[in-house]
Amino acid sequence: MSSVLQNLVNQPYPHGFVTEIESDVAPKGLNEDTIRLISTKKNEPGWLLEFRLKAYQQWLKMEEPKWPNVKYPKIDFQAISYYSAPKPKKLASMDEVDPELLRTFEKLGVPMNERAALAGVAVDVIFDSVSVATTYKQKLAEVGIIFCSISEAVHEHPELVQQYLGTVVPLGDNYYAALNSAVFTDGSFCFIPKGVKCPMDLSTYFRINTQESGQFERTLIIAEEGASVSYLEGCTAPKFDTNQLHAAVVELIALDNADIKYSTVQNWYAGDEKGIGGIYNFVTKRGLCKGVNSRISWTQVETGSAITWKYPSCVLRGDNSVGEFYSVALTNHYQQADTGTKMVHLGRNTRSTIVSKGISAGRSNNSYRGLVRIAPSAAGARNYSRCDSMLVGDQCGANTFPYIQVNNQSAKVEHEASTSKIGEDQLFYFAQRGIGAEEAVSMIINGFCKDVFQQLPMEFAVEATKLLGLKLEGSVG
Amino acid sequence: MPPGIVGKGLPTYFSWQHAYMSAVTSNSYLESLLQGQPHLPAAPLAWFNELRADAVDRVGALTVPTTRDEEWRFTDISPLTKLSFHPARNAPQLDAATIDGFVLPEAGARLTFIDGVYAPQFSFNNAGVVVENLAVGVTRHGAQIEPHLGRHAEFRGDVFAALNTAFLHDGALIIVPRDASVTAPVHLLFIATQQEAASYPRCLVVAESGSAVTVVEDFVALQPDAAYFTNAVSEIVLADNAHLNHVRVQRDNGAAFHIANCAVSLARASRYRSVSVALGARISRYHLNVLQAAESAECTIDGLALIADRQLADTHTCIDHAQPHGTSRQLHKCIVGGAAHAVFNGKIMVRPGAQLTDSSQSSRNLLLTGKARVDTKPQLEIFADDVKCAHGATVGQLEAEEVFYLKSRGLTEAAARNLLTYAFGAEIIARIPVASLKHCLEQTVLAQTNR
Repeated sequence: MSSVLQNLVNQPYPHGFVTEIESDVAPKGLNEDTIRLISTKKNEPGWLLEFRLKAYQQWLKMEEPKWPNVKYPKIDFQAISYYSAPKPKKLASMDEVDPELLRTFEKLGVPMNERAALAGVAVDVIFDSVSVATTYKQKLAEVGIIFCSISEAVHEHPELVQQYLGTVVPLGDNYYAALNSAVFTDGSFCFIPKGVKCPMDLSTYFRINTQESGQFERTLIIAEEGASVSYLEGCTAPKFDTNQLHAAVVELIALDNADIKYSTVQNWYAGDEKGIGGIYNFVTKRGLCKGVNSRISWTQVETGSAITWKYPSCVLRGDNSVGEFYSVALTNHYQQADTGTKMVHLGRNTRSTIVSKGISAGRSNNSYRGLVRIAPSAAGARNYSRCDSMLVGDQCGANTFPYIQVNNQSAKVEHEASTSKIGEDQLFYFAQRGIGAEEAVSMIINGFCKDVFQQLPMEFAVEATKLLGLKLEGSVG
Repeated sequence: MPPGIVGKGLPTYFSWQHAYMSAVTSNSYLESLLQGQPHLPAAPLAWFNELRADAVDRVGALTVPTTRDEEWRFTDISPLTKLSFHPARNAPQLDAATIDGFVLPEAGARLTFIDGVYAPQFSFNNAGVVVENLAVGVTRHGAQIEPHLGRHAEFRGDVFAALNTAFLHDGALIIVPRDASVTAPVHLLFIATQQEAASYPRCLVVAESGSAVTVVEDFVALQPDAAYFTNAVSEIVLADNAHLNHVRVQRDNGAAFHIANCAVSLARASRYRSVSVALGARISRYHLNVLQAAESAECTIDGLALIADRQLADTHTCIDHAQPHGTSRQLHKCIVGGAAHAVFNGKIMVRPGAQLTDSSQSSRNLLLTGKARVDTKPQLEIFADDVKCAHGATVGQLEAEEVFYLKSRGLTEAAARNLLTYAFGAEIIARIPVASLKHCLEQTVLAQTNR
C-alpha cells in the first residue's frame, strides 16, 4: 500500500472538542420512572406518556438484533443517561444563547444568524437531547410551514403530531426504534402544507456533548399534497473513550404529489485509530410515499460513528410513487458500517433507484444490506440498484447483502455490484500527467462518489467533498 | 389498504427476519427420523463408526431449521416435518425395462441406488477407475477415503448433513488415480419408488492430481405422486490440476422433498465445472459449497431451476476464495410458473490474502405468472483489496419487444412465449457436457414450457 493511501486512513477528527456547558442530566438507568421523568421535564400531554410507556413495554419484550454484520460488546442500557439538557434559561433572542454554545456551533461551522441568511438555511440545532435554537421560523411561518423542535410541536400542534407520530415506524418496529419511542427527548418537526414549496433548505444539526449520555432524537416530516421540501441533517460529537449510543427515528410522510428530499452528512466521532470510543449509530429512518406520484429521496454521506446500523427506507404505497437512495459510506480504522436501504413497492408503477458507494480502509468493515420487495399489488414496479465498493488496503472488508423479493410478474428488478481498488497503475497514470498521488486519490474517490454527491444540495456537496479532502490533509509531508 | 398493512403501523416485513412458522417440536421429529439408524451394520473401520456416532450426537444437538434462521428464511420446510419418513430396508425388484428411460448410452460406468439401496444388477463399471459402492469400497480403499469422507461436508452445523452422515453406510465412491483421464461420464442414478421412504444418498469423488472425469448425479422417481424424502450429501475433492465436470439433475416427482448438500474442495490449479438442474420436488434445496483451498483454482457453477404449480426450489451456493489467484464464474437462472417460489442465495467469499481473485456472479429470474415468486440474494463478502468481483441480479418477465418480434415472424403469442422461455433455460442446459442428457433435458424443458 502506498504511503498516500496509508495517510488517507490516518486523519484527525476535527470536531472532537467538549463544550463546558452546565447540563441537566437525568440519573442513569432506564425504567418507567425515567420515562415519567422525561415526560414531566418536557411537560408532555398524557397521550405521549402513554405512547412512551407502551413502547417501553414492547422494548422489554424484544431482543437486540443479531443479524447485522457488526461486532460490539453488549450495551448496558442501565449505564446510559436518557436525558441531558443544557441548564434551562429563558431565551428571548439568539443573543441570549450561551456564548459557549454559540462558539461550539461556530467551530462546527453551523450557519446560524447572519451566516444563515447568506446561506439561506433554516437551522434547528439539537444539543444533546434538547433543541436550542431554531432560526428563520418567522419567515417559514409566513408561507404556513411549521418548523420547530418536536417538543414544541407536541405543545403547539398536538393534533398533527398525534396523527402522524409512529405511523411510519411503529412503536415495536425494531429494538432501537422501540427504545427511541420510549425515551426520545427531542428532534425536529416539519410540516409543509398543501401546495407549498419550501423556499429554503431546512437543516438540523445534532451534537452529543455529554459523556455517557445517549441521544434519542425523533424527526417527523410531513409534506401535504403537492408540497415539497429539502431537509439537511448533520451530526458531530466530542471525543470520549467510552462508546455513546445514538438511536434516532426519522419518519417522513409524503401525500399526493409531494416531494421530500432528505440529506444527511453523518460525521459522529468514530473512535480513535485503535477503535476505542466512538458513537454507536443505530438509526431507523423510513419514509412513506402515501399519496400518488409522491417522491422520497434519501441521500447520505456516512463517514463517522464506530458502528453505523441504518437503512433509510421507502414504502411506496401511492401509485407511481418514487423512492431514491444515494449513499456514500466511508469506514476507517476499526469502524463498522452495516447500512443500506429498503424499498417496499406496494403501489402500481412505483419506481426506486438505489446507488450505494462503500469505501473501506484500515481495518474497517463496510457492509451494504438492501431489500427490494415487490408486493403482489405492485404491478409495473421498477427497481434499479447499483452498489460499488472500494477497498483501500488489505485489512478491511466490503460486503454486499442485497435481498430481492419479487412477488409480481410485471415487475422489473435489476441489481449490480462491483468491487475495485485504487490501483498503483492508476496512480502512476496520474503521476505521468503531473498530478501528485494525493490529488489523484482524491480525484479517484470523488469520481467514485460522484453519482451520490451530485444528489446533495450545494452546501452539503461542498462539505462532503471537503470531508473526503480532509482525509488527505494529514498526508502532506 | 394493501395486504399486509394492519391498522396504523406498517407490517412486520420491515424486519429483516419475519414470517416464522410456529415452533416445531423439532427434536421429537428428528428422533423419529433417526429411527432405524441403530440397525445399521457396524463397519470394520473404527473411524467410520466414530464418524457416524459423532453425526448422531450432532443430530441430537441441532434442531430443524425454521424461517427464523437466516439461511432458511424463504424456505419453509414445515410441510416436511408434518410427514414421517423411514429408510427403506429393501428396495423393490425392478425389471431392466423400468430404468431404460434413465440410461445414458455414453456412460462408462453406472451406480444405481433404489430408494437409497445399492442395486448391483443395474450397475456396471467400464471406466477403468474405482467406481463402486461405498460399503465395499471403504474396506478396499479405506486409507484413501478416510481423509475425505465426512471431512468436507460440514455436518456440525447442518442438521440435514448430520442426518445423512448418521445414516452413513453405503453410497457412491469414485476414485480417479493420478493423471487418469476418464472420457465417458460416470452415471450415478438414484431412483425413488416408495411412498414415505427416506433415502440418504452419499457420494464421494476423489480426483487425484492431473486426473479428469465427468460425474452425473441423477435423481429420478418412478411414482408420480409418492411423497418421499431424499437427503443427499456429496463430497468432491480435486487434487492439483485435476479437472471435474459435475452434472446434477434433480427430477423428483412433485410430491417429493429433496435436500442436498455438496461440498467441493479445490487444490492448486484444479478446475471444477458444475451444472445443476432442478425440475422436480415439492420442496427442494441444494446447498453447494466450493472451497478454493489452494492457489489458482477455477470453478464455474451454473444452475437452472424450472418450477411451476406450488413447487419451491431453493439454491444456496457459497464460493469460498481462500487463496490467491482464484477464478469463479456463476450463472444461475430460475424460471418460475404457477404459484411456485424460487430462492437463490449465492455467496462469494474472498478471504484475507486471497488477492487477484476474479469472480463474477449473475442471478437471472423469469416470472411467468402473477403468483410466481422469487427471492434472490447474491452476496459478496470481500476481505482482500486487489480483487475483481462483480455480481448482478435481475427479475422480470419476457420482453414484450422480443415477443412482438417473433409474432411479426408469424409465431403465435403462445409459441413465441414458449420459445423465449425455452431459450432462457436452454442457455444453462447447453453447458451440460453429456449429449444424451442434454437432449433429454431440452425435451423436458420444452414440454414444461408448452404446458
